[in-house]
Amino acid sequence: MSTQYRIPLHWSFDYNHGAQKPDYANELITLLQGYQTKTQDVEAGHIKHTYRILPNFWRGYSGRNRPGESLGIGSAVIQRHKKLDKVWCYNVQYKNSTSGENALLQFRCNDDAYRTLTGNWKATVTNSGQDIYANIELKGEIKNDKQIELCFNRTEITIEMENHALPLTCNWGLYDVIPAIAEKLRTKGAAVAISLLDDLEQLRPKCQIGYLDSIQDPIPLDGYYLYGTGLLPSYWWVDESKNVVIVSTVFETLVLHEYSGSST
Amino acid sequence: MKTRPNIIFINTDQHSWDAISAYGNTYLETPNIDKLHKNGTSFKNTYCTDPVCAAARSSWTTGLYTSETGVPFNGGTLHPDIQDIGQILKQGGYRTFHCGKWHVPGRNVRESFETLYYGNNNIGAGGAAYYDSASTHAVTDFLTHYDEKNPFYLQIGYVDPHDVCEYLHNHEEKQIPNPVEQGILSEHDLPPLPENFNYDDRETVLHRVCRRVDDALIHARILKAVKMWDELHWRYLRWNYYRFIEKVDAEIGSVLSLLQQTDFVDNTLIIFSADHGEACGSHQLFQKFALYEESVRVPFIVSCLGEGIDVKRDRFNNTHFVSGVDILPTVCDYANVEFPATCQGDSLRPLVEGKEVTWRDYAYIESNYWGRAIVTDQYKYITEYKPKSFEDYLPPGPNDAQLGRAQLFHRNTEPSETENLSDVPEYKDIVNACKIKLFSHENRLNRQQIVQSGAQRLISNWGRRLQEYWERGY
Repeated sequence: MSTQYRIPLHWSFDYNHGAQKPDYANELITLLQGYQTKTQDVEAGHIKHTYRILPNFWRGYSGRNRPGESLGIGSAVIQRHKKLDKVWCYNVQYKNSTSGENALLQFRCNDDAYRTLTGNWKATVTNSGQDIYANIELKGEIKNDKQIELCFNRTEITIEMENHALPLTCNWGLYDVIPAIAEKLRTKGAAVAISLLDDLEQLRPKCQIGYLDSIQDPIPLDGYYLYGTGLLPSYWWVDESKNVVIVSTVFETLVLHEYSGSST
Repeated sequence: MKTRPNIIFINTDQHSWDAISAYGNTYLETPNIDKLHKNGTSFKNTYCTDPVCAAARSSWTTGLYTSETGVPFNGGTLHPDIQDIGQILKQGGYRTFHCGKWHVPGRNVRESFETLYYGNNNIGAGGAAYYDSASTHAVTDFLTHYDEKNPFYLQIGYVDPHDVCEYLHNHEEKQIPNPVEQGILSEHDLPPLPENFNYDDRETVLHRVCRRVDDALIHARILKAVKMWDELHWRYLRWNYYRFIEKVDAEIGSVLSLLQQTDFVDNTLIIFSADHGEACGSHQLFQKFALYEESVRVPFIVSCLGEGIDVKRDRFNNTHFVSGVDILPTVCDYANVEFPATCQGDSLRPLVEGKEVTWRDYAYIESNYWGRAIVTDQYKYITEYKPKSFEDYLPPGPNDAQLGRAQLFHRNTEPSETENLSDVPEYKDIVNACKIKLFSHENRLNRQQIVQSGAQRLISNWGRRLQEYWERGY
């Protein structure tokens, strides 16, 4: 990464605060210019997107003071395939060297634009830090269309679904939902309401997704926003091939590193 | 209560006292903190000991004010001879667990507690986006596995809504359009500007040098950015702040839901509070470090979700002044564990049980080493000590000759704290009475010299800057 890029980044993912070494913009643009040429092995019919997590926060991330290395503080790998032509099976691996948590999330969604959660799901989260917490196991399912039943390490809790009329998906399903509804959001201008089950455990019952902006540099991208109760605005940028390429929150930016298969 | 209870101290970070929907705030939804209130008593006159993380937390864990602990701001080091709550309860037979943010410099949390989770590289000031859900996972793991005979004390340090600081830092290097320009919200969606968006122009020199001047001692780069903000940006800050609180409320909800499914529910006392508040646009300020209500007044709820502990429920206590120094004696009282006689706080247990008890009639707050406030039923008195000509690093104490400027606000008639009455002749006696209360309180403190070199340097540097302003005749 010897080239110093000077393109002003869109404010929604410009976190080049100067406190960050190596340079944030440099790394982000390098990733953006390289992801289309990267290939990875996947089974036939599987779609896989691999993201690098860059820190937006101004201090405290593990890469600080190590110039020359990647800013990356983790990765997210989203793999899915369609089963029997009607259900999408997701397998998400999330690793974060700041929190120390590694998560494996497995869930299923209907083959609709909102990738509505169906069947049961499970998550295993492990902690690589030195403290007592080692791991938790979560299983869950929707009961009677109105309740979510979660079981943590064999202890069950029930969450009432406040807005059960809204489609409910997992936040990791949004990597397919947003490209699928992108044109509608862009052309109609109206936001779409949706409910999210964050990491398969936290219900965000009233979320909005809408069109934000389009940019040409560093590559052509259309941007969308997402926010809700208990959910700070995040910004989702989709390329011409309908890949979610950048997801930027207050705290982190996920940048597409490699992908295989068509996203929609 | 048949046996000694389990005690869970849930704390949030930078959470103003009124940012809770059960208290009538309609701009956010906090169903889980509301649940704590429904099952407990909310002390609405609760003040932090110092409106900044490390200092306030040093008081929580020791029952001492910050000129006593050695941590008078986000620096210093907790004096090694002072016992913390983990050590005290452990000696009293409790298993003591910590999870999440600690931020008490000079004290290794892993030596004082068994740590469920403290981040991969130790949690610092911020980082709720990563640490809070991991903390909930760690508590989940704990609550579903703990089967010891000993009662436990568990403190859960959630970082949010502190991540609002990251939101603010994001404005340092770039201009972010207001949300209406962004097209994601309408004006109607945003909370209004606070009533006290304006501020008293006779603030203390300490406050002005720390927070107002272009080269402010604290977060000058954010200050420069917010000076470019329009009204919608300020309102958007408030909107974002409330989302951060909703986020941490959901984390608390997960812990409470799980606790309710365990055998611990009846015999577990829950204390909920925050280290300090957030200005969130009041007085055109952001973050904390100020002695105004939004920064120093915090939520404080004592609750039990089961039936095993005598707690007055769904009740507001609007009369008793509670301070961060009261955490330690309250926990020790419930735990039936002796605490050091030097502790400045008192147990809230009699108040939680609805008993009459003699109680202090004011709150005492320190800020930025030299700042002081006394809050009484009717008035708030804010003042400052001038830097000493020869700095000995002993936090300033009762000394009339060293006092600088002052503010006096009538809490009942003007709670927004914009009309400074300190120079109004009719209020001279009130100012004097507040000063007497301040000195009387400080005479009871065991102020200790700041020994950490970094903290000494900061005091010297800040002191020089303040001195310049005093000499120049501000």
